[in-house]
Amino acid sequence: MSPVPEVALREVSRSFFVGRPEEVRALRGVSLRLPPGDIVSVEGPSGCGKTTLLNLLGLLDVPTQGEVLWDDRSVAARSERERARLRLTGVGFIFQRFYLLPTMTARENVELPMRALGRPAAERRARADHLLDEVGLSHRRDAFPHELSGGEEQRVAVARALANAPGLLLADEPTGELDRANTDQILDLLLRVRAESGATLLLVTHNPRVAARASRHLTMEDGRIVGDGPGA
Amino acid sequence: MSPSRWTLRHHRLQAILAVASIGTAVALPVVLLSVGGGVSQHELSQLESSGYQLSVSAAGVHGISGAHALVSQIESLPNVAAASPVLSVPVDVFLPTGAVTPALAEGVIPGAFLATQGPTTAGLFPHPLPLGDPSDLAHFANGTYAGPAALDVLVASPFALDFGLGVGSTLMLGATTNRSAATPFTLTGEFGVPASTLGPAAVFAIVLPLSDLQQMTGFARAGGADGTLLDQADTVEVALVGPAATDVAAITAVQGEVQRLAPFYGVSALTDQANELRASIGVLNGFYLALSSVSLTIGLLFLGLVLVRRVEADRRTIGIRRALGLPAAQIALGLARDGLVLAAAGGVAGVAGGIAVVVGLARLGSGTAATAAGLAIFDPVTLGLLYAGVLFLSLGASAVAARAALRLSIPEALR
Repeated sequence: MSPVPEVALREVSRSFFVGRPEEVRALRGVSLRLPPGDIVSVEGPSGCGKTTLLNLLGLLDVPTQGEVLWDDRSVAARSERERARLRLTGVGFIFQRFYLLPTMTARENVELPMRALGRPAAERRARADHLLDEVGLSHRRDAFPHELSGGEEQRVAVARALANAPGLLLADEPTGELDRANTDQILDLLLRVRAESGATLLLVTHNPRVAARASRHLTMEDGRIVGDGPGA
Repeated sequence: MSPSRWTLRHHRLQAILAVASIGTAVALPVVLLSVGGGVSQHELSQLESSGYQLSVSAAGVHGISGAHALVSQIESLPNVAAASPVLSVPVDVFLPTGAVTPALAEGVIPGAFLATQGPTTAGLFPHPLPLGDPSDLAHFANGTYAGPAALDVLVASPFALDFGLGVGSTLMLGATTNRSAATPFTLTGEFGVPASTLGPAAVFAIVLPLSDLQQMTGFARAGGADGTLLDQADTVEVALVGPAATDVAAITAVQGEVQRLAPFYGVSALTDQANELRASIGVLNGFYLALSSVSLTIGLLFLGLVLVRRVEADRRTIGIRRALGLPAAQIALGLARDGLVLAAAGGVAGVAGGIAVVVGLARLGSGTAATAAGLAIFDPVTLGLLYAGVLFLSLGASAVAARAALRLSIPEALR
């Protein structure tokens, strides 16, 4: 289990210029603190900056202005190598579009983060099988992503995010492709992991059933956090 | 299945093109180095296996005058086994069939000629040379050319075969195309001519006594039978006795003595010539490598392009790996492995292709190119170094691609 970080954003803005003549401001002066163990849901209309927020919290991106702090230390002070190490050991990402590697089976996808950490083959295989069993896919572990349904891919992505037992779980619509039963199963799993490890869990969701199980709820609009209160 | 194998298989056309470009780039130096090296090595071994150690030659178009006297003086020096003058003159051969063909006549003193042949060439000639007086002094007769001429001639075996000649045949030799001015010679023997040893021109060589050739071609006296004695030769080859032949100090000492006897002619030691040849082989190899580096650069640039193109095509996969926190070194290693696999395959194809081209040229080609290809040497060390160099340089191409991969913005790559 990785140590659970306290992550915070201080007056963070993120602008993009790529392919556009004018500046697009995805985040505008956002400040946010995620105490360890928080379960936070984020909602807001499309393009309001939710994914950018996740990218910054998960160290995939750096802000144009302001600071991202991990345990009170600015991420900007860390090298790309250090940030990569933090992503590998401390962050579990569940991407909206799953982003499984198409050349690997479900089990190999789940094993990948553990392999990068140099964990022994038998250990990572056992953990991958356990996680795939947890998400109800033990019978599909040798299937390639193109052989899986959207829901199955999403569950593999969840298992991969949990592989290195991260302290921060970031999920972008983690149940978007799932039916009600599977939504409940995945939520139960994420919450159980959180309860066992004390990990911080941040979920971007439009699903009221998911938002209802968060302890804190953020509402975003036009690159700003316009609502921050207890969960429903 | 490893990701690398999958990637190569799914970018098959790019992989094939990269291997083909590297193969072509490698084949060129393989051909140049093996043929160039083979020809140079052949020349060197010819030089080193010569039966003589010193060569006297005249500058410009003027030959060495007083060849018989000079030979006699040189042979009286200590450590000298034999001195052999050689005169080369193009002549016309009027055949018994009435046909006429040009030939390169070599005038030699029979005994001295054999004494200065190395083991490779000496074996090609009959022993003793059936050209009459072995010393050539009987006909030379102290510069009067009044003695009995041998009028014997040897021809190359292919020459004899082509024109249906045998021992006892009469050949009319002349310095001009005027048959009535030609002199009758008797064919007394043949000598062998492997093309790889003496070259295609040797097929048209004939050998006869020096004084006979001098008199027939006007190199005996200037201005006719009563003119000033010329007794000309092109070179005088000097063979040293036993241990002196391989002793650099002894060779240098005799070289000085000969130079004193013939101050107006150049006297060079074959060891010097061999060193000069070695130096020129080095320069040639450098030139071949410089020329080859152009093709290798193009091949490796193409490899770099293919790998960068692959980074572009796989940007999302690379983005996912980086998003998951996989170390940059792992991503770079994947690309380096791809580059090495392609370079290794291209290198093998290039070496094999280059060898195939040379062997094919030697077997199916004609003329000088085929002869040169036949002499090619495929030195495993040279080919191994070339191969290792290609693999090493492919890391540079991979580094360019790795840099592109690691500079990708992760959110952009995942978009």
